[in-house]
Amino acid sequence: MTLTAYRWLLCLYPRSYRHEFGDEMTAVFREARNDLAPAVGAKISFCRREFCGLLSGALYAHLTHLSGSAIRFRRFDMQRQFRFPLSTVFLMVVIFAGVVLTIAKASTIAGDTSGSAWPSLVSVMILMLLSICTAAGVVVGVLHTMRRGGVHRLENVQGLRSSMQSNGREP
Amino acid sequence: METSALREPVLLVLLSLAEQPRHGYSILKDIESMSSGGTKLSTGTLYGALQRLLDNGWIERVEEESTPRDRRTYMLTSRGRRNLQMEIERMRHLTKVAALRTARKEA
Repeated sequence: MTLTAYRWLLCLYPRSYRHEFGDEMTAVFREARNDLAPAVGAKISFCRREFCGLLSGALYAHLTHLSGSAIRFRRFDMQRQFRFPLSTVFLMVVIFAGVVLTIAKASTIAGDTSGSAWPSLVSVMILMLLSICTAAGVVVGVLHTMRRGGVHRLENVQGLRSSMQSNGREP
Repeated sequence: METSALREPVLLVLLSLAEQPRHGYSILKDIESMSSGGTKLSTGTLYGALQRLLDNGWIERVEEESTPRDRRTYMLTSRGRRNLQMEIERMRHLTKVAALRTARKEA
């Protein structure tokens, strides 16, 4: 991944975040890239890690930016054994894009004149984005409602956390 | 952040800063060496963790006039150190329970 591509991806972050961390992130990326092993595998792994890290980081930063500190987004954290690797999500998107392109190409070859029946890749992507935003909005709403209802306090019944709190951990 | 188990990147960043104040790239390299190369954080993940820790007052920037803007140094606050100790205690307790349970099963 080039420095230009990295800077371009940084634009996905909120402006305030970029202002605070943008220069540092770019400098750290530059150092990490210069320090890479010459092997192709290491470079691919580095690019994949940075790409996925920036996408998830930008999403998190936007959600935090929108909601302030009212909602703690650790509620989105899944237990480790149930987590998708980010690379899986990336590959799923790539495969999905490939499938849509193949279908579009096949319909063209078959001379299908009713091309509008097959949505273009861009429109499908926009539809996907809208669906994801809607789902995220619903989840945030539910979490916010739960928090207002005090449901989050139920987690305090867990013995381990209670014992930690009795040991003086801050609330 | 205070009442639940810490996420792995956050814990690793705290452990890295527990030894000495560090800047971003130094934290990345330290985490890599701590985990014998097993854990490599991306810059997005690292700065996400740093932002959360700054917001919660667990770490702070070392203010030096000579430090360039793209190489700022971070250090643990007393609050961060206290909470790291508690997290370590929690993990120690969990390890002890796990050891007891697995020993009982083997017996």
